[in-house]
Amino acid sequence: MLKMTSFITAGTDAIQLVPASSFSIEQLTNIYNQTRVDYLVPMPMNAARLAEYVNVYNVDMQHSLVAMQNGEMLGVAMLGVRKERAWVTRLGVIPNTRRAGVGKALMNGLITQADNLGLDFIMLEVIKNNDPAHQLFLKLGFYEVGELLVLRRPPVSLTPNPVVADAQRLDRADALVLVGHDRGTQPWTNQSETLINAQDISGLWLTLADGTRGWLVYQRQKFTLTRFAFKTEKGDPVALAQAFLSHLHYQYPRLDTQLENIQVNDPHLPAFYEMGYIESFRRIEMWRGTPPASLVRNP
Amino acid sequence: MPKILMVEDMPDNAELARKILVSAGYEVIHAPDAETGLEMALAHCPDLILLDLGLPDYDGQTLAGWLRAEPTLSATLIIAFTAWPEETVKRMTESYGCDGYISKPILKVNDFLVQIASFLKNA
Repeated sequence: MLKMTSFITAGTDAIQLVPASSFSIEQLTNIYNQTRVDYLVPMPMNAARLAEYVNVYNVDMQHSLVAMQNGEMLGVAMLGVRKERAWVTRLGVIPNTRRAGVGKALMNGLITQADNLGLDFIMLEVIKNNDPAHQLFLKLGFYEVGELLVLRRPPVSLTPNPVVADAQRLDRADALVLVGHDRGTQPWTNQSETLINAQDISGLWLTLADGTRGWLVYQRQKFTLTRFAFKTEKGDPVALAQAFLSHLHYQYPRLDTQLENIQVNDPHLPAFYEMGYIESFRRIEMWRGTPPASLVRNP
Repeated sequence: MPKILMVEDMPDNAELARKILVSAGYEVIHAPDAETGLEMALAHCPDLILLDLGLPDYDGQTLAGWLRAEPTLSATLIIAFTAWPEETVKRMTESYGCDGYISKPILKVNDFLVQIASFLKNA
Protein backbone atom coordinates (compact mmCIF):
# COMPACT_ATOMS: atom_id res chain seq x y z
CA MET A 1 0.00 0.00 0.00
CA LEU A 2 1.17 3.51 -0.77
CA LYS A 3 1.44 5.24 2.61
CA MET A 4 2.18 8.75 1.44
CA THR A 5 4.09 9.79 -1.65
CA SER A 6 5.29 13.21 -2.66
CA PHE A 7 5.44 14.37 -6.25
CA ILE A 8 7.37 17.57 -6.95
CA THR A 9 5.94 19.53 -9.83
CA ALA A 10 7.43 22.59 -11.46
CA GLY A 11 6.58 25.81 -9.70
CA THR A 12 4.64 24.19 -6.89
CA ASP A 13 5.22 22.75 -3.46
CA ALA A 14 5.17 19.00 -3.09
CA ILE A 15 1.87 17.27 -3.79
CA GLN A 16 1.29 14.52 -1.27
CA LEU A 17 -0.84 11.48 -2.04
CA VAL A 18 -2.65 10.12 0.98
CA PRO A 19 -4.74 6.92 1.10
CA ALA A 20 -8.44 7.76 0.96
CA SER A 21 -8.98 5.44 3.92
CA SER A 22 -7.37 8.17 6.08
CA PHE A 23 -10.49 10.33 5.57
CA SER A 24 -14.13 10.03 6.55
CA ILE A 25 -16.77 9.39 3.91
CA GLU A 26 -18.08 12.92 4.59
CA GLN A 27 -14.65 14.44 3.90
CA LEU A 28 -14.31 12.43 0.69
CA THR A 29 -17.82 13.41 -0.41
CA ASN A 30 -16.97 17.04 0.17
CA ILE A 31 -13.72 16.98 -1.80
CA TYR A 32 -15.33 14.98 -4.61
CA ASN A 33 -18.19 17.47 -4.91
CA GLN A 34 -15.75 20.39 -4.91
CA THR A 35 -13.89 18.86 -7.86
CA ARG A 36 -17.10 18.63 -9.89
CA VAL A 37 -18.67 22.04 -9.45
CA ASP A 38 -17.81 23.14 -12.99
CA TYR A 39 -18.12 19.77 -14.72
CA LEU A 40 -20.06 19.31 -17.91
CA VAL A 41 -22.19 16.84 -15.96
CA PRO A 42 -21.65 17.68 -12.26
CA MET A 43 -23.10 14.51 -10.66
CA PRO A 44 -22.74 15.58 -7.01
CA MET A 45 -23.20 12.95 -4.31
CA ASN A 46 -24.11 12.86 -0.66
CA ALA A 47 -22.22 10.64 1.79
CA ALA A 48 -24.80 7.85 1.59
CA ARG A 49 -24.57 7.71 -2.19
CA LEU A 50 -20.78 7.72 -2.15
CA ALA A 51 -20.75 4.93 0.46
CA GLU A 52 -23.07 2.87 -1.75
CA TYR A 53 -20.88 3.62 -4.76
CA VAL A 54 -17.78 2.43 -2.88
CA ASN A 55 -19.53 -0.80 -1.93
CA VAL A 56 -21.23 -1.62 -5.23
CA TYR A 57 -18.19 -0.90 -7.38
CA ASN A 58 -15.58 -2.51 -5.09
CA VAL A 59 -13.69 0.73 -4.53
CA ASP A 60 -10.60 -0.03 -2.44
CA MET A 61 -10.22 2.96 -0.12
CA GLN A 62 -6.76 1.93 1.05
CA HIS A 63 -5.52 2.12 -2.53
CA SER A 64 -7.55 5.19 -3.51
CA LEU A 65 -5.85 8.55 -3.10
CA VAL A 66 -6.37 12.11 -2.00
CA ALA A 67 -3.93 14.78 -3.22
CA MET A 68 -2.83 17.21 -0.51
CA GLN A 69 -0.68 20.31 -0.51
CA ASN A 70 0.18 22.32 2.57
CA GLY A 71 -2.61 20.54 4.44
CA GLU A 72 -5.27 21.36 1.82
CA MET A 73 -7.14 18.71 -0.16
CA LEU A 74 -6.64 19.34 -3.89
CA GLY A 75 -8.23 16.34 -5.52
CA VAL A 76 -9.24 12.72 -5.28
CA ALA A 77 -9.00 9.55 -7.35
CA MET A 78 -10.47 6.18 -6.51
CA LEU A 79 -9.40 2.67 -7.47
CA GLY A 80 -11.85 -0.19 -7.93
CA VAL A 81 -10.29 -3.61 -7.49
CA ARG A 82 -11.70 -6.91 -8.79
CA LYS A 83 -10.15 -10.18 -9.89
CA GLU A 84 -7.33 -9.45 -12.36
CA ARG A 85 -8.45 -5.88 -13.02
CA ALA A 86 -8.57 -2.38 -11.60
CA TRP A 87 -10.75 0.64 -12.37
CA VAL A 88 -10.07 4.35 -12.07
CA THR A 89 -13.06 6.39 -10.96
CA ARG A 90 -14.12 9.69 -9.31
CA LEU A 91 -10.91 11.39 -10.46
CA GLY A 92 -11.18 15.11 -9.93
CA VAL A 93 -9.18 18.19 -9.05
CA ILE A 94 -10.56 21.36 -7.45
CA PRO A 95 -10.96 23.96 -10.23
CA ASN A 96 -8.57 26.63 -8.90
CA THR A 97 -5.74 24.10 -8.44
CA ARG A 98 -5.85 22.58 -11.92
CA ARG A 99 -3.03 22.69 -14.49
CA ALA A 100 -0.43 22.13 -11.76
CA GLY A 101 0.09 18.41 -12.20
CA VAL A 102 -2.36 17.24 -9.54
CA GLY A 103 -4.41 15.03 -11.86
CA LYS A 104 -1.29 13.49 -13.35
CA ALA A 105 0.14 12.82 -9.87
CA LEU A 106 -3.11 11.16 -8.79
CA MET A 107 -3.22 9.01 -11.92
CA ASN A 108 0.43 7.97 -11.59
CA GLY A 109 -0.28 7.17 -7.95
CA LEU A 110 -3.23 4.93 -8.86
CA ILE A 111 -1.24 3.13 -11.56
CA THR A 112 1.44 2.44 -8.94
CA GLN A 113 -1.21 1.24 -6.49
CA ALA A 114 -2.63 -1.14 -9.10
CA ASP A 115 0.86 -2.37 -9.89
CA ASN A 116 1.48 -3.01 -6.18
CA LEU A 117 -1.62 -5.19 -6.20
CA GLY A 118 -0.26 -7.12 -9.20
CA LEU A 119 -2.87 -5.62 -11.54
CA ASP A 120 -1.62 -4.42 -14.92
CA PHE A 121 -5.03 -4.17 -16.56
CA ILE A 122 -6.85 -0.94 -15.70
CA MET A 123 -10.19 0.29 -17.01
CA LEU A 124 -11.80 3.73 -16.88
CA GLU A 125 -14.42 5.88 -18.56
CA VAL A 126 -14.11 9.55 -19.41
CA ILE A 127 -17.00 11.84 -20.34
CA LYS A 128 -16.89 12.57 -24.06
CA ASN A 129 -15.53 16.07 -24.72
CA ASN A 130 -13.65 16.22 -21.41
CA ASP A 131 -10.52 16.77 -23.47
CA PRO A 132 -7.99 17.53 -20.68
CA ALA A 133 -8.75 14.25 -18.91
CA HIS A 134 -8.90 12.32 -22.17
CA GLN A 135 -5.49 13.64 -23.24
CA LEU A 136 -3.99 12.85 -19.84
CA PHE A 137 -5.19 9.25 -20.03
CA LEU A 138 -3.78 8.83 -23.56
CA LYS A 139 -0.39 10.13 -22.37
CA LEU A 140 -0.43 7.64 -19.51
CA GLY A 141 -0.85 4.69 -21.86
CA PHE A 142 -4.62 4.23 -21.88
CA TYR A 143 -6.22 3.48 -25.23
CA GLU A 144 -9.80 3.87 -26.46
CA VAL A 145 -11.98 0.81 -26.52
CA GLY A 146 -15.37 2.18 -27.45
CA GLU A 147 -18.13 4.62 -26.72
CA LEU A 148 -20.71 4.24 -23.97
CA LEU A 149 -24.18 5.74 -23.59
CA VAL A 150 -25.83 7.06 -20.46
CA LEU A 151 -29.56 6.68 -21.04
CA ARG A 152 -32.66 7.94 -19.23
CA ARG A 153 -36.32 7.13 -19.51
CA PRO A 154 -38.68 9.51 -17.72
CA PRO A 155 -41.68 8.08 -15.90
CA VAL A 156 -43.96 10.42 -17.84
CA SER A 157 -43.41 8.35 -20.99
CA LEU A 158 -46.42 6.46 -22.26
CA THR A 159 -46.74 3.10 -20.57
CA PRO A 160 -46.38 0.40 -23.22
CA ASN A 161 -48.61 -2.64 -23.49
CA PRO A 162 -46.59 -5.75 -22.71
CA VAL A 163 -45.44 -7.64 -25.80
CA VAL A 164 -47.02 -11.08 -25.85
CA ALA A 165 -44.47 -13.51 -24.48
CA ASP A 166 -44.03 -16.28 -21.98
CA ALA A 167 -42.68 -14.20 -19.09
CA GLN A 168 -41.14 -15.63 -15.96
CA ARG A 169 -40.16 -13.43 -13.04
CA LEU A 170 -36.75 -14.17 -11.53
CA ASP A 171 -35.92 -13.63 -7.88
CA ARG A 172 -32.52 -12.34 -6.83
CA ALA A 173 -30.88 -15.74 -6.61
CA ASP A 174 -32.06 -16.88 -10.03
CA ALA A 175 -31.24 -13.49 -11.58
CA LEU A 176 -27.69 -13.57 -10.23
CA VAL A 177 -27.15 -17.07 -11.56
CA LEU A 178 -27.78 -15.65 -15.04
CA VAL A 179 -25.62 -12.58 -14.47
CA GLY A 180 -22.82 -14.74 -13.11
CA HIS A 181 -21.97 -15.82 -16.61
CA ASP A 182 -20.99 -14.12 -19.85
CA ARG A 183 -20.43 -10.55 -18.68
CA GLY A 184 -17.03 -10.59 -20.37
CA THR A 185 -15.46 -7.19 -20.94
CA GLN A 186 -18.51 -5.14 -20.09
CA PRO A 187 -17.71 -1.74 -18.57
CA TRP A 188 -16.91 -1.96 -14.85
CA THR A 189 -20.26 -0.55 -13.79
CA ASN A 190 -22.13 -3.34 -15.60
CA GLN A 191 -20.01 -6.32 -14.62
CA SER A 192 -21.33 -9.26 -12.61
CA GLU A 193 -19.79 -8.07 -9.34
CA THR A 194 -21.77 -4.82 -9.50
CA LEU A 195 -25.10 -6.64 -9.56
CA ILE A 196 -23.97 -9.14 -6.95
CA ASN A 197 -23.08 -6.22 -4.63
CA ALA A 198 -26.30 -4.27 -5.31
CA GLN A 199 -29.55 -4.55 -3.37
CA ASP A 200 -33.04 -5.26 -4.74
CA ILE A 201 -31.98 -7.22 -7.81
CA SER A 202 -34.54 -9.24 -9.75
CA GLY A 203 -35.16 -10.20 -13.34
CA LEU A 204 -37.32 -11.44 -16.18
CA TRP A 205 -36.92 -14.45 -18.43
CA LEU A 206 -38.88 -14.17 -21.66
CA THR A 207 -39.66 -16.51 -24.53
CA LEU A 208 -41.37 -15.01 -27.59
CA ALA A 209 -43.70 -16.76 -30.03
CA ASP A 210 -40.96 -17.02 -32.68
CA GLY A 211 -38.61 -18.76 -30.27
CA THR A 212 -36.57 -15.67 -29.39
CA ARG A 213 -35.57 -15.95 -25.76
CA GLY A 214 -33.40 -14.23 -23.21
CA TRP A 215 -33.31 -12.32 -19.95
CA LEU A 216 -33.14 -8.97 -18.21
CA VAL A 217 -31.74 -8.45 -14.73
CA TYR A 218 -32.24 -5.06 -13.04
CA GLN A 219 -32.15 -3.18 -9.77
CA ARG A 220 -35.35 -1.57 -8.52
CA GLN A 221 -34.67 1.30 -6.16
CA LYS A 222 -37.21 3.47 -4.35
CA PHE A 223 -37.66 5.87 -7.26
CA THR A 224 -35.64 4.38 -10.09
CA LEU A 225 -34.94 1.32 -12.20
CA THR A 226 -31.25 0.95 -12.91
CA ARG A 227 -28.26 -1.38 -13.44
CA PHE A 228 -29.64 -3.46 -16.30
CA ALA A 229 -27.92 -6.60 -17.54
CA PHE A 230 -29.52 -8.43 -20.44
CA LYS A 231 -28.80 -11.10 -22.97
CA THR A 232 -30.51 -12.65 -25.97
CA GLU A 233 -29.91 -16.38 -25.68
CA LYS A 234 -31.53 -17.07 -29.04
CA GLY A 235 -33.21 -15.02 -31.77
CA ASP A 236 -33.72 -11.30 -32.37
CA PRO A 237 -32.16 -8.99 -29.73
CA VAL A 238 -34.37 -6.02 -30.66
CA ALA A 239 -37.55 -8.09 -30.35
CA LEU A 240 -36.37 -9.47 -27.03
CA ALA A 241 -35.52 -6.00 -25.68
CA GLN A 242 -38.90 -4.64 -26.82
CA ALA A 243 -40.50 -7.45 -24.88
CA PHE A 244 -38.55 -7.10 -21.64
CA LEU A 245 -38.77 -3.31 -21.63
CA SER A 246 -42.51 -3.36 -22.29
CA HIS A 247 -43.07 -5.80 -19.42
CA LEU A 248 -40.81 -3.86 -17.07
CA HIS A 249 -42.28 -0.41 -17.71
CA TYR A 250 -45.82 -1.76 -17.66
CA GLN A 251 -45.07 -3.13 -14.21
CA TYR A 252 -43.36 0.05 -12.93
CA PRO A 253 -44.92 3.00 -14.81
CA ARG A 254 -43.99 5.62 -12.19
CA LEU A 255 -40.29 4.81 -11.86
CA ASP A 256 -37.57 6.84 -13.51
CA THR A 257 -34.96 4.76 -15.37
CA GLN A 258 -31.23 5.46 -15.42
CA LEU A 259 -28.79 3.31 -17.36
CA GLU A 260 -25.03 3.74 -17.30
CA ASN A 261 -22.51 2.78 -19.92
CA ILE A 262 -24.47 0.89 -22.53
CA GLN A 263 -22.11 0.10 -25.40
CA VAL A 264 -23.04 2.04 -28.56
CA ASN A 265 -22.90 -1.11 -30.65
CA ASP A 266 -25.21 -3.07 -28.37
CA PRO A 267 -27.66 -4.86 -30.70
CA HIS A 268 -30.57 -4.31 -28.27
CA LEU A 269 -30.34 -0.50 -28.44
CA PRO A 270 -33.03 0.27 -31.08
CA ALA A 271 -35.65 -1.15 -28.72
CA PHE A 272 -34.58 1.24 -25.95
CA TYR A 273 -35.11 4.26 -28.17
CA GLU A 274 -38.50 2.92 -29.29
CA MET A 275 -39.46 2.63 -25.62
CA GLY A 276 -38.78 6.29 -24.88
CA TYR A 277 -35.16 6.19 -23.71
CA ILE A 278 -33.13 9.31 -24.41
CA GLU A 279 -29.41 9.85 -24.49
CA SER A 280 -28.12 11.89 -21.56
CA PHE A 281 -24.44 11.98 -22.48
CA ARG A 282 -21.62 9.75 -23.74
CA ARG A 283 -18.46 8.40 -22.26
CA ILE A 284 -15.35 6.96 -23.87
CA GLU A 285 -14.14 3.68 -22.40
CA MET A 286 -10.37 3.34 -22.11
CA TRP A 287 -8.09 0.50 -21.05
CA ARG A 288 -4.45 0.24 -20.04
CA GLY A 289 -2.72 -3.10 -20.50
CA THR A 290 -4.06 -6.31 -21.96
CA PRO A 291 -7.37 -7.67 -20.70
CA PRO A 292 -6.90 -10.95 -18.85
CA ALA A 293 -8.01 -14.12 -20.62
CA SER A 294 -10.73 -14.66 -18.02
CA LEU A 295 -12.49 -11.52 -19.25
CA VAL A 296 -11.99 -11.97 -22.97
CA ARG A 297 -13.15 -15.59 -22.91
CA ASN A 298 -16.79 -14.53 -22.52
CA PRO A 299 -17.24 -11.39 -24.62
CA MET B 1 -45.46 38.30 -5.18
CA PRO B 2 -45.01 34.76 -6.50
CA LYS B 3 -43.33 32.14 -4.36
CA ILE B 4 -40.25 30.42 -5.78
CA LEU B 5 -38.78 27.14 -4.51
CA MET B 6 -35.12 26.86 -5.42
CA VAL B 7 -33.69 23.33 -5.33
CA GLU B 8 -29.93 23.81 -5.47
CA ASP B 9 -27.14 21.99 -3.62
CA MET B 10 -24.33 24.51 -4.10
CA PRO B 11 -24.59 27.09 -1.28
CA ASP B 12 -22.91 29.87 -3.26
CA ASN B 13 -25.20 29.40 -6.27
CA ALA B 14 -28.25 29.21 -4.03
CA GLU B 15 -27.33 32.34 -2.09
CA LEU B 16 -26.65 34.39 -5.23
CA ALA B 17 -29.92 33.41 -6.87
CA ARG B 18 -31.83 33.91 -3.62
CA LYS B 19 -30.45 37.44 -3.15
CA ILE B 20 -31.33 38.42 -6.70
CA LEU B 21 -34.84 37.02 -6.49
CA VAL B 22 -35.54 38.50 -3.05
CA SER B 23 -34.28 41.88 -4.22
CA ALA B 24 -36.90 41.74 -6.98
CA GLY B 25 -39.61 41.04 -4.44
CA TYR B 26 -40.09 37.31 -4.82
CA GLU B 27 -40.65 35.06 -1.84
CA VAL B 28 -37.90 32.43 -1.99
CA ILE B 29 -37.60 29.12 -0.19
CA HIS B 30 -34.64 26.79 -0.62
CA ALA B 31 -34.06 23.03 -0.60
CA PRO B 32 -30.53 21.60 -0.87
CA ASP B 33 -31.51 18.16 -2.22
CA ALA B 34 -34.25 16.33 -4.08
CA GLU B 35 -36.06 14.71 -1.15
CA THR B 36 -36.25 18.02 0.72
CA GLY B 37 -37.33 19.67 -2.52
CA LEU B 38 -40.28 17.30 -2.90
CA GLU B 39 -41.30 17.80 0.75
CA MET B 40 -41.13 21.59 0.44
CA ALA B 41 -42.97 21.62 -2.87
CA LEU B 42 -45.84 19.63 -1.36
CA ALA B 43 -45.89 21.73 1.80
CA HIS B 44 -45.64 25.20 0.19
CA CYS B 45 -47.15 24.77 -3.32
CA PRO B 46 -44.80 27.31 -4.93
CA ASP B 47 -45.63 29.14 -8.16
CA LEU B 48 -42.28 28.24 -9.71
CA ILE B 49 -39.61 25.64 -8.91
CA LEU B 50 -36.10 26.54 -9.99
CA LEU B 51 -34.49 23.14 -10.28
CA ASP B 52 -30.79 22.30 -10.40
CA LEU B 53 -30.34 19.10 -12.42
CA GLY B 54 -27.30 17.90 -10.45
CA LEU B 55 -28.39 17.10 -6.90
CA PRO B 56 -26.62 14.92 -4.34
CA ASP B 57 -29.35 12.41 -3.48
CA TYR B 58 -31.51 12.03 -6.62
CA ASP B 59 -30.88 14.12 -9.68
CA GLY B 60 -33.07 16.93 -10.92
CA GLN B 61 -34.69 14.88 -13.68
CA THR B 62 -35.88 12.31 -11.18
CA LEU B 63 -37.26 15.07 -8.96
CA ALA B 64 -39.04 16.66 -11.94
CA GLY B 65 -40.67 13.30 -12.60
CA TRP B 66 -41.91 13.05 -8.99
CA LEU B 67 -43.20 16.61 -9.06
CA ARG B 68 -45.07 16.07 -12.31
CA ALA B 69 -46.73 12.98 -10.87
CA GLU B 70 -48.21 15.01 -7.96
CA PRO B 71 -51.72 16.26 -8.80
CA THR B 72 -51.41 19.22 -6.40
CA LEU B 73 -48.39 20.49 -8.31
CA SER B 74 -49.78 20.12 -11.81
CA ALA B 75 -49.94 23.89 -12.34
CA THR B 76 -46.53 24.62 -10.81
CA LEU B 77 -43.88 25.83 -13.22
CA ILE B 78 -40.73 23.70 -13.18
CA ILE B 79 -37.72 25.49 -14.63
CA ALA B 80 -34.39 23.65 -14.87
CA PHE B 81 -31.42 25.70 -13.69
CA THR B 82 -28.33 24.13 -15.18
CA ALA B 83 -24.98 24.49 -16.89
CA TRP B 84 -25.61 21.50 -19.16
CA PRO B 85 -25.11 21.96 -22.90
CA GLU B 86 -28.20 23.47 -24.52
CA GLU B 87 -29.06 20.50 -26.71
CA THR B 88 -28.93 18.08 -23.76
CA VAL B 89 -30.89 20.29 -21.40
CA LYS B 90 -33.61 20.88 -24.00
CA ARG B 91 -34.03 17.14 -24.51
CA MET B 92 -34.00 16.40 -20.78
CA THR B 93 -36.36 19.16 -19.70
CA GLU B 94 -38.93 18.39 -22.38
CA SER B 95 -38.82 14.68 -21.62
CA TYR B 96 -39.17 15.15 -17.88
CA GLY B 97 -42.04 17.62 -18.06
CA CYS B 98 -40.19 20.82 -17.22
CA ASP B 99 -41.59 24.10 -18.55
CA GLY B 100 -38.23 25.48 -19.61
CA TYR B 101 -34.68 26.10 -18.47
CA ILE B 102 -32.35 28.87 -17.41
CA SER B 103 -28.62 28.48 -18.00
CA LYS B 104 -26.09 28.77 -15.19
CA PRO B 105 -24.06 30.65 -14.15
CA ILE B 106 -26.04 33.87 -13.81
CA LEU B 107 -24.07 36.29 -15.97
CA LYS B 108 -26.49 39.23 -16.04
CA VAL B 109 -28.85 39.80 -13.12
CA ASN B 110 -31.40 41.59 -15.26
CA ASP B 111 -31.51 38.80 -17.87
CA PHE B 112 -32.09 36.26 -15.11
CA LEU B 113 -34.98 38.27 -13.67
CA VAL B 114 -36.50 38.84 -17.11
CA GLN B 115 -36.45 35.08 -17.73
CA ILE B 116 -38.13 34.33 -14.39
CA ALA B 117 -40.76 37.02 -14.95
CA SER B 118 -41.43 35.77 -18.46
CA PHE B 119 -42.03 32.19 -17.31
CA LEU B 120 -44.42 33.39 -14.61
CA LYS B 121 -46.26 35.74 -16.96
CA ASN B 122 -46.79 33.06 -19.60
CA ALA B 123 -47.93 30.43 -17.12
